[in-house]
Amino acid sequence: MQGILLQLIVSGIAMGFVYALVAVEYTLIWNACGLLNFSHEKIIMLGGYVFVGTCITALGMSNIMSAILTIILLGIFGALIAVIIFIPLRNQTRLIAVVATVMLGQILNEAAVLVWGPVALMPKNFLSGVFTFMGATVAKSYVYIIIVAVIIIALLELFFKKTKPGKGMTCVSINKTASALMGINVKVSIVITLILSFMICGVLGIITAPIFTVKQQMATMIALKGFCAGVIGGFGSLPAAIAGGLVLGIVENIAGVVLPAVFKDAVAFALMILFMLFSPKGLVGVRDHVRNLQENRKQKKGKVNI
Amino acid sequence: MKTAREWKKYFPVFLMLLLAVIPAFVTGNYYRTVCCQAMLYAIVALGLNFIVGLSGLMTLGTAAIYGLGSYVSALFCVKLGWNPWAALIPVLISGWLIGKGLGYPSLRVQGVYLSLATIGFNEIVRNLLTNLEWTGSGTGIRNIPVYEIGGFAFDTQIRSYYLIYAVLLLFIVIAWKIVNSRWGRAFKAVKDNPDALEVCGINIANVKITAFTLSAIFAVVAGAMYAHFNRYITPATYTTDLSISFVVMLIIGGLGNFWGCIYGAYIVAFLPQLLRPIGLTYKLIYAVIIMLLVVFFPNGIFHDIRRYLGLHRVLKKGGEEG
Repeated sequence: MQGILLQLIVSGIAMGFVYALVAVEYTLIWNACGLLNFSHEKIIMLGGYVFVGTCITALGMSNIMSAILTIILLGIFGALIAVIIFIPLRNQTRLIAVVATVMLGQILNEAAVLVWGPVALMPKNFLSGVFTFMGATVAKSYVYIIIVAVIIIALLELFFKKTKPGKGMTCVSINKTASALMGINVKVSIVITLILSFMICGVLGIITAPIFTVKQQMATMIALKGFCAGVIGGFGSLPAAIAGGLVLGIVENIAGVVLPAVFKDAVAFALMILFMLFSPKGLVGVRDHVRNLQENRKQKKGKVNI
Repeated sequence: MKTAREWKKYFPVFLMLLLAVIPAFVTGNYYRTVCCQAMLYAIVALGLNFIVGLSGLMTLGTAAIYGLGSYVSALFCVKLGWNPWAALIPVLISGWLIGKGLGYPSLRVQGVYLSLATIGFNEIVRNLLTNLEWTGSGTGIRNIPVYEIGGFAFDTQIRSYYLIYAVLLLFIVIAWKIVNSRWGRAFKAVKDNPDALEVCGINIANVKITAFTLSAIFAVVAGAMYAHFNRYITPATYTTDLSISFVVMLIIGGLGNFWGCIYGAYIVAFLPQLLRPIGLTYKLIYAVIIMLLVVFFPNGIFHDIRRYLGLHRVLKKGGEEG
């Protein structure tokens, strides 16, 4: 029993980090140009296909080299998409941009069938096998997902706090006009954001390949649930996104055991809708609310004492 | 000699006459089916116009509402043996409930978040329809009865065509009345200046919920018509892609353009069928065409073509002089 619980929690944390990465990646683009990338599930898929289909199978490269090449290729693709779609559409009605990115997703989807075929691909000898400890059997891929996610989040944090382009992007997210006046190139900032975000998608595609196998629908659910994680945590900040992802991952995994399997996927959306109705700012809102209550209580106590 | 402006008044009549005679030219059941499909899409698009076109809210969950309409009607007829016309009552009630239910979250979430939340709604519904036993799970519902009036069954393509045509006509009249009523003006005001609306003493929350309810009712009725026309429904029809297609219809027709909904629906319904002979790559080409249309003609095809040709400016000048 304890073993099963541990197993559920580890896989929950791993999925939580996947959701958190997706939420972080949504947030990045949202902050840079006020648009959401609705095609990103297909970009995660593209990452998986380039990694398994092209680099490993067609070019016969080693796993690590393939991963590096995939991430670089997706970065270049991100720059291209920034120039073609995101920069021209940044001042349009948002609906137009939403539909444009959705159509980009469909184009990638159809292209993937034509290039790599309709059969699901599976990387061989990549993050396979299991760890066993304390009576729990945990797939190695879950442990690797946690490690990789922690590294990426740490790197992002460093990038935003310590480097000049990172600080510039933070400025753009706060006030576009003012940062343009201060001499920060908003367009360059959008390009950098897209490159970063597509690279994260590539990483997601690579590390989730052993779990979901590489197919067209591999990322549909994680993309949507990543958004749920963002809402549950409170959109717009990195730590909130991570907290939301972890909560969602663990709750969902445990719900999968307690409730009938049918409802496993619906739990995430139900949780999101509950948060939207009762705490639109997510966990951040809950935290603020608790703090306010505590402060009120302190103030009341103070008054009584006087 | 009448001016263009005077002729424009008769445009709706011409359009509806054109739609009425289409079956004479379009032979072959396949294309007639696509025509019926296009008219059903047009009904949904007319309803969606209240939310997306006029009020400027971005919802991407319409396919789920359309699907609920189909399923409610089909389940009442197949499992409980109701008459398809009687089943329209639970369908309308369900549409009203869904509209209210979706309207409330829309007050909480703004802009792009609303589209994501509604995509989530779409996915929940599709998931439940696929997995629940009593909705027929993945295989859907078969042998749905057709509409019937006094022994006259709407069972062939051409009969269904005129039934759906009549319903479309009815909904065009209703939608036209709504757009030009107090409600319609309130919807437009939500998009243009919500603050002014509140100052006028109109409750924005009520206006948004009304828009959602109306649009849901249009969508469920179209969904029910679809179930009885196709006689077989599966959850695979009601994907997020279909929701996106509904919004694409509005964009191609021009956001907020009343008649644009109808030709947008026809373009979106027919384009994939016309491209089908290309073979394997037709879906790819379809997606590319739609993306280019959306990026280069964001105000609707006809509007932007006129603008690119410079015609639009001329018309506007004429309007100012007159």
